Amino acid sequence: MRRPLVALVAVALLGVVAGCGSDENEAPAASGGIKQVKVGVIPILDVAPIYLGKEKGFFSNRGIELTMETGQGGAAIVPGVVSGQFQFGFSNVTSLLIAQSRGLPLKVVSNGVASTSKDKADYSGVVTRDDSIRTAADLAGRRVAVNTLKNIGDSTIRASVRKAGGDPSSIKFVELAFPDMPAALEAKRVDAVWVVEPFLSATLSQGGRLVASNYVDTAPDLTVAVYFTSEQLTKSDPDLVRRFTEAMAESLAYADSHPDEARKVLATYTQIDEAVIPDLTLPKWPAEINRASVDTLATLAVQDGLVEKQPDLDALLP
Amino acid sequence: MRPGRRQRWWLGASGLLGFLLLLELVPRAGLVPDRYLPPTSRIAGALADELGEPAFWRALGDTLQGWAVGLALAVGAGVGLGLLVGSVPALRAATSSTIEFLRPIPSVALIPLAVLLFGTDLRSKLLLVVYASFWQVLVQVVAGVRDVDPVAMDTAHSYGLGRWGRIRHVVWPTALPYAMTGFRLAAAVALILAITAELIIGSPGLGREIAVAQTSGAVPAMYALVVVAGLLGVGVNLAARALERQVLAWHPATRREAP
Repeated sequence: MRRPLVALVAVALLGVVAGCGSDENEAPAASGGIKQVKVGVIPILDVAPIYLGKEKGFFSNRGIELTMETGQGGAAIVPGVVSGQFQFGFSNVTSLLIAQSRGLPLKVVSNGVASTSKDKADYSGVVTRDDSIRTAADLAGRRVAVNTLKNIGDSTIRASVRKAGGDPSSIKFVELAFPDMPAALEAKRVDAVWVVEPFLSATLSQGGRLVASNYVDTAPDLTVAVYFTSEQLTKSDPDLVRRFTEAMAESLAYADSHPDEARKVLATYTQIDEAVIPDLTLPKWPAEINRASVDTLATLAVQDGLVEKQPDLDALLP
Repeated sequence: MRPGRRQRWWLGASGLLGFLLLLELVPRAGLVPDRYLPPTSRIAGALADELGEPAFWRALGDTLQGWAVGLALAVGAGVGLGLLVGSVPALRAATSSTIEFLRPIPSVALIPLAVLLFGTDLRSKLLLVVYASFWQVLVQVVAGVRDVDPVAMDTAHSYGLGRWGRIRHVVWPTALPYAMTGFRLAAAVALILAITAELIIGSPGLGREIAVAQTSGAVPAMYALVVVAGLLGVGVNLAARALERQVLAWHPATRREAP
């Protein structure tokens, strides 16, 4: 009768031994010049270039063996990079400005994704089903859903409202996950939602109306998100950082000029319905960071009270 | 007993069928828009698609691995420490408030710590799984050891049984039913935490597939994976109960062989 438990204990001990034995601290171990690199990303449209670049060999031909680690909403990405579990991570600019203002030693290494800069034809937008909301100015005093409070969503929506001549201070922001927004809008639990693709297409096809392109209203060619690393890695392995930056630049340029291939790679790491993939509005993937737009986001972050003092962009940006 | 059992089986099956039928009808009748809650048939179709994907089976394997290893660690540590803490009164008194303090801390609150220490790999998942399920076993085993009949203990003593003999023939048989209860609870909790870790941290497994389906707006696929998670839970519970019955069926036999 003791057998099953004895067996369990034995398995447990084996587990302990295995746990100690298989010490997979395979942080960049040089094996014949090839470095294993882990990148923390969110499995969304925005990161198509890194998947495409990996497929095209832009990383492997620079001696980088790339593994993507996906976390929901990116909760794990910044701590993962700071602790060195990931060498690089993907994050929106505002989150990085906030992280930097809290003293996290982060350094941007490459552009990530940018707005299309075309009004009402961006991959992000504010959608409503309420006929009394005609322009962004009408959002004043209404309930607007964003995926994270005090971040790039509310910051850029306020910019839209300000630009349209409304009072952004009276907007009631509500936190909801993007996948939950179409249902919340339909049930009138919120008056408008901020959605990005593929949920933008979905809400529009379900009777939503686009009120504002918040990224476009914020700044021309807005740099929305970037790839970053820890300051420590920039010092301990500047060569790896340089090679990653080069590979990213090539991947971004390739994805930007080959949208069909970018759409195709989506099917490999997302579950977006293949029927809607051809109709999604893709973002822009310029290789260069638009410094002026990051300046704008920094100013907005101060203005909206997301950070206390003007962020030091020279320390954060490459 | 037989007809009763068959009747129970029927009741269980009809309950499940009723639920599936309701899930088919509610979206079809338009009570809930079917793009947010697809009918059973469409979820079944998405499930069939998933079953054909190698990625699905890899994810299932990852989840089961995290569950099994985490549970084994928790049970091993819980039984070992439980026997120790339970049989030394001073130790029990010294640790009881600490245990009561640590036990209710939700494992999920340790996610930032797990990521900081281990990133998104298996070890993060194990930290959450072991933390959540360890207490279930420990508390049960400590209670089981306390439940040992002092007369039986004294008898064993006067028959000249050593410390090991007393643990083996008196303490262990008493604590075993408690330990098995702890094991059954831990088995369920371990599965919940394995999938939670995957969902939130993004460790490989079913939970991560659910998160990917969700961020992609693939609602039927998401529900299909949720169904798989539910079925796993049922399977784990059935297996734990079967093991419990088997282990405790031997129980009286042990007492007969006791000196």
